[in-house]
Amino acid sequence: MISQDDIFNKIKDVLIEEFEVEPEAVKLDANLFTDLELDSLDAIDLMVTLDKELEIEIKTETMQDMRTIQDVCDFVAASVKNE
Amino acid sequence: MRRVVITGLGLNSPLGNSYDELYESLKSGKSGIEYVPEWEDIKDLGTKVAGRVKNLDLKSIPRKYRRSMGRVAQLAAISTGDAISDANLTEDMLSSKRCGLAFGSTMGGNETMFEYMPEVQAKMSFRGQNSMAFLKMMSHTVAANLAQMFGIKGRNLPTCSACTSSSQGIGAGYESVKYGMSDIMICGGSEEHHYLSAGVFDVMSAASTKHADQPHLSSKPFDESRDGLVVSEGSGAIVLEELEHALARGAKIYGEVIGYATSCDGSHITTPSKEGMLQVMETSLEDANLKASDIEYINAHATATMRGDIAESHATYSLFGSKIPVSSTKGHMGHLLGGCGVVESIICLIALNKSFLPKTMNFEKLDKECASINIIDKNIDKNVDIVMSNNFAFGGINTSLIFKKYDFL
Repeated sequence: MISQDDIFNKIKDVLIEEFEVEPEAVKLDANLFTDLELDSLDAIDLMVTLDKELEIEIKTETMQDMRTIQDVCDFVAASVKNE
Repeated sequence: MRRVVITGLGLNSPLGNSYDELYESLKSGKSGIEYVPEWEDIKDLGTKVAGRVKNLDLKSIPRKYRRSMGRVAQLAAISTGDAISDANLTEDMLSSKRCGLAFGSTMGGNETMFEYMPEVQAKMSFRGQNSMAFLKMMSHTVAANLAQMFGIKGRNLPTCSACTSSSQGIGAGYESVKYGMSDIMICGGSEEHHYLSAGVFDVMSAASTKHADQPHLSSKPFDESRDGLVVSEGSGAIVLEELEHALARGAKIYGEVIGYATSCDGSHITTPSKEGMLQVMETSLEDANLKASDIEYINAHATATMRGDIAESHATYSLFGSKIPVSSTKGHMGHLLGGCGVVESIICLIALNKSFLPKTMNFEKLDKECASINIIDKNIDKNVDIVMSNNFAFGGINTSLIFKKYDFL
């Protein structure tokens, strides 16, 4: 069973590796769009990578309210739970 | 009548990543062709050599632009950035509707295509596929990505026609400026290194297979012992600008485009027609209001395939006879496909500005099926004022460009 910490660390890794975000900027309350300068396509691609890396099925149609990294963690945790 | 001059350029190629590096490589007779060990793993691929771009920092392209670019677009982004900087184009000039783009490549990102399509097909599912894949693969990926990155809002003419992609880009840009639709056009082409390109020619027995142990000998345009072309990668961009616009801002001028034609053979899907090649050269001369004897050097397309070199030699001979010096620089660097027209045009600008005619590398003896054009086998230091660059593509698409030294007096 994957922990909250593991989820956050995985998200952090992906943001740094794939999206080239500065490590210091990856905080739970960071806004994906206004702080990290991602856009809606990046948000989709973030989910696609997490889907592959965590081997869980992430339904992107339910991610519309996602704004912060905390939101991403919660969303992923909920998807893991539903597996 | 509006005149069209070249006010900036950039390139990356197997012979270097700048005008100066390219010139030095040509002067020193450097070969840009190397053995590709990874291709040993591909069954039934006879060709094992290619020309590749080196020493380029692709991560210098900001991620927000790079995310939708395959390697083909990344190479173009670097050469275009260099050209824009070389021309000192300001943001205002770039974002004007009078500044456009005419850029192409044979295909979109091959590497992406080879990752994306098999996965989708194997699983019959789009799960795990990201939003950027198509943008990297689509045929106009280069033109679309460049426009986005550089904020281009004028005409955008993706010229994707294989070996004539970049020469058609230059021609389209020339016409846009000459006929008043644009004041600035950034033109060029690109291609990325991938075994697909090699395989395409290999399957047709048109790629060089005999010199994997001595790669520098692989590409021998017009030579009787040639055994096919070498696929290479690279990109180039030139800034075309209306003359008065360029003079008003004190732009440097590399030369002038004074003639262009493009045409189709209307015959075979791959075998070139000497009549088609002849027609495009004649039409280009008409556009420039010149006679054949006004041309002082020709940079030939000659890829070192059996049929292509023969047809081109006959077409060239019919018009230019056996005096005008001709060379193909594909001996040095192989065939840059979507990038060849623009890099070879830049070589023509080197010829005009440096009074330097590059040799045809590895040319020793003319194939007896070729017509007796004057193929130079040594570099020649010679002042030239008017030069021609020709390219011919699959589908019988032909281009002929004429460049003239710009006289500031």
